[in-house]
Amino acid sequence: MEKPAKTKKKHGVSYAKWGYIFILPFFITYFIWSFVPQVLTFGYSFFKMYRSGLDQIGPEWNGIQNYVELFTTKLDGIPTVVKYAGNTMIMWIAGAIPQFLIALLLAVWFTSFRLNIKGQGFFKTVIYMPNLIMASAFSMLIWTVFSVTGPVHSLFVNSNLITEEFDFFFNKVSARSIVAGINFLMWFGNTTIVLMAGIMGIDQSLVEAAMIDGASSIKVFFKITLPLLMPILTYAVITSLIGGINMYDVPFILSKGYGTPDNTTMTLIMNVQQKLSTAKNYGSAGALSVLIFFFSAALSLVVFKFFVPHDSLKNMKKGGK
Amino acid sequence: MKKRVIALLLVAVMAMGMFAGCGKKEEKNFSDGGKVLNIYAWNEEFKGFFEKYYASKIPSDVKVNWIINVSDNGLYQQKLDDALAAQANASADDKVDIFLAEADFITKYADSNATVDVKALGVTDFSNMYNYTVQAASDSKGVVKGVSFQCCPSALIYRRSIAKDVLGTDDPAKVQEALNSWSKFESVAATAKEKGYYMTASFASTFRVFSNNCTSAWVNGNKELVFDKAINDWIAQTDMFVEKQYTLKDGIWDDPTTDQMYKDGKTFCFFGPAWYFNFSMTKAQDAEKGCSGDWAICQGPQAHFWGGTWILGAAGTDNATLVADIMNAFTNDKDIVSKLVENEGQYPNNKAVAATYAADDTKGAVAFLGGQNATAVFAAMTDNIKWENHTKYDQLLNEGLQNKLQEFYKGSVSKEKAMENFKTYIKETYPEIVVK
Repeated sequence: MEKPAKTKKKHGVSYAKWGYIFILPFFITYFIWSFVPQVLTFGYSFFKMYRSGLDQIGPEWNGIQNYVELFTTKLDGIPTVVKYAGNTMIMWIAGAIPQFLIALLLAVWFTSFRLNIKGQGFFKTVIYMPNLIMASAFSMLIWTVFSVTGPVHSLFVNSNLITEEFDFFFNKVSARSIVAGINFLMWFGNTTIVLMAGIMGIDQSLVEAAMIDGASSIKVFFKITLPLLMPILTYAVITSLIGGINMYDVPFILSKGYGTPDNTTMTLIMNVQQKLSTAKNYGSAGALSVLIFFFSAALSLVVFKFFVPHDSLKNMKKGGK
Repeated sequence: MKKRVIALLLVAVMAMGMFAGCGKKEEKNFSDGGKVLNIYAWNEEFKGFFEKYYASKIPSDVKVNWIINVSDNGLYQQKLDDALAAQANASADDKVDIFLAEADFITKYADSNATVDVKALGVTDFSNMYNYTVQAASDSKGVVKGVSFQCCPSALIYRRSIAKDVLGTDDPAKVQEALNSWSKFESVAATAKEKGYYMTASFASTFRVFSNNCTSAWVNGNKELVFDKAINDWIAQTDMFVEKQYTLKDGIWDDPTTDQMYKDGKTFCFFGPAWYFNFSMTKAQDAEKGCSGDWAICQGPQAHFWGGTWILGAAGTDNATLVADIMNAFTNDKDIVSKLVENEGQYPNNKAVAATYAADDTKGAVAFLGGQNATAVFAAMTDNIKWENHTKYDQLLNEGLQNKLQEFYKGSVSKEKAMENFKTYIKETYPEIVVK
């Protein structure tokens, strides 16, 4: 990679700065639309600032009062933020486990030269399809399917599995499972594609050599594919985690914004929305957003440390193949 | 260095935000000559009337633009608030000219600088309007900020065939006699249950009847949340109704409830004003599965009203004359108001027009109610409507209570937990309300 750059330098023309110029638009838009609001949010979180009806209250310096209130508003004896963070993580994990297991399996199958699956393009399109539908539209559809007047309920009644009315959205387990299920359905295709790209980046001669030495497919997967896939898998898990912490539209629509039942499907971002929508409570919503920011950062770090062992980090720094 | 830059930026942006908040108040907050008439609404009801009876009178160079957002979860109010907040800096074509408001949240807008004094606009004749509709649209100083095209006394709407089976009669006077108090209502519910009927189709059916007869507002002068006796009575009665299966466990707008309006429905009665049976009972009006004509109305256990749509002029409107003309057309223009009664089954906000229909049983007959003169029934109820104890928080307090209690009725949580969840919901939604 270095060679051509050097030759060009000899001629006295550097194209290096063009790279920065071409990516500049991203940084400008990022600065205006992401960075500034982030800093603002951080600032707002120290102010008393909301609307009472149409009248603006504040902004008025409030110190850490917003943060204190977040932890003193309690449900079931624990601060609501902790409860909502728990809900968010439970629903993310319940969706992410099948999502990654199935995506790994499909990615290995699709890339296996021994299986050589036909019609791959078709399957890839089909599994990716749910991701193309708007999450809210998808949730509406699932809501209709599982509602008490919907087909699933009548199926359960007709097959005598339930004898009296059972509302899927008013039971903690079923409501959370439906949210997790929708997230799984929407994202496993995307993960499959990402992991496939990772697997295809692995030198197939390693796999062939192992096979010739008599390794079984399972051994090849655990000893060769998985370790070499780790960097990509880490990336996929972390993006999924961040998406999970930001979970909002699916549980919002299924519970009409109330986190039904018993606030067990109320996620952190739904709570931000609740504070922001009616009272425009930038103070409290800002404080919560700052907490979510640090929560995401901390969890991402944990995932990173867990998936990428220390010595492999060293290897990565040494450069590619 | 980096820290200093960030700190500086923070200060600069915060300061900018503060200045942006300090707009100057204008003396005259409306004008004429706008080319786009922006109307905010939360459903298509008024749009339908507007297009049928008024659209032809609009100057050809003015375009009407409807911005419709559903009101669930306060969404309509959020969108409207954002638009009103941006009103001062919005371009002429984007300025809100008219917006509609419902009884649950009109106080918030009427008692604010976001609305225009309708007398200044050119609506001066309030003599035929029902007093409560004018009170509702007045701010704390008594300045009228809007008019309503409907008056909404709410009735008990019952199925004639089921009434015959349960009470032995479908005559409105006799049915009223049998249901004129809550204790009678409860005993009829028990009889209905024995015969295989539900008394009401939703746990929240009777909510407005109780909540409208509150003697205190949801939030008192110290911004404390108050549970009125009427609200507690409603909860107690609903607990009993759900337990004894006199009613269903879904909300008033949910499918299991509205499905009860079909011919094969098993529900004795619904509660609602004129707009309810002509706009919201579409399943009952269905030609095949419905049962139009098998309904009738009477006052029921307690006088009350429900909802109603007010037309308000937004401060900063650039179509002031047109706005005033629309307000006059739907309240004082006898021709249009009569059409609303005759063709749309509305109960009008015009005493004179209402009186002519109330007096004439052939003119006032409503086919959906088996030929009953609805206007006459409602006219007798209008005197009992009072506008009191309303706050700007009402919509989400009413909806929140119903939604959180529904979790108890559906078996998800205990009653105490449901009430605790409701209080937490209010705390997190309205920072200024003190919840004990």
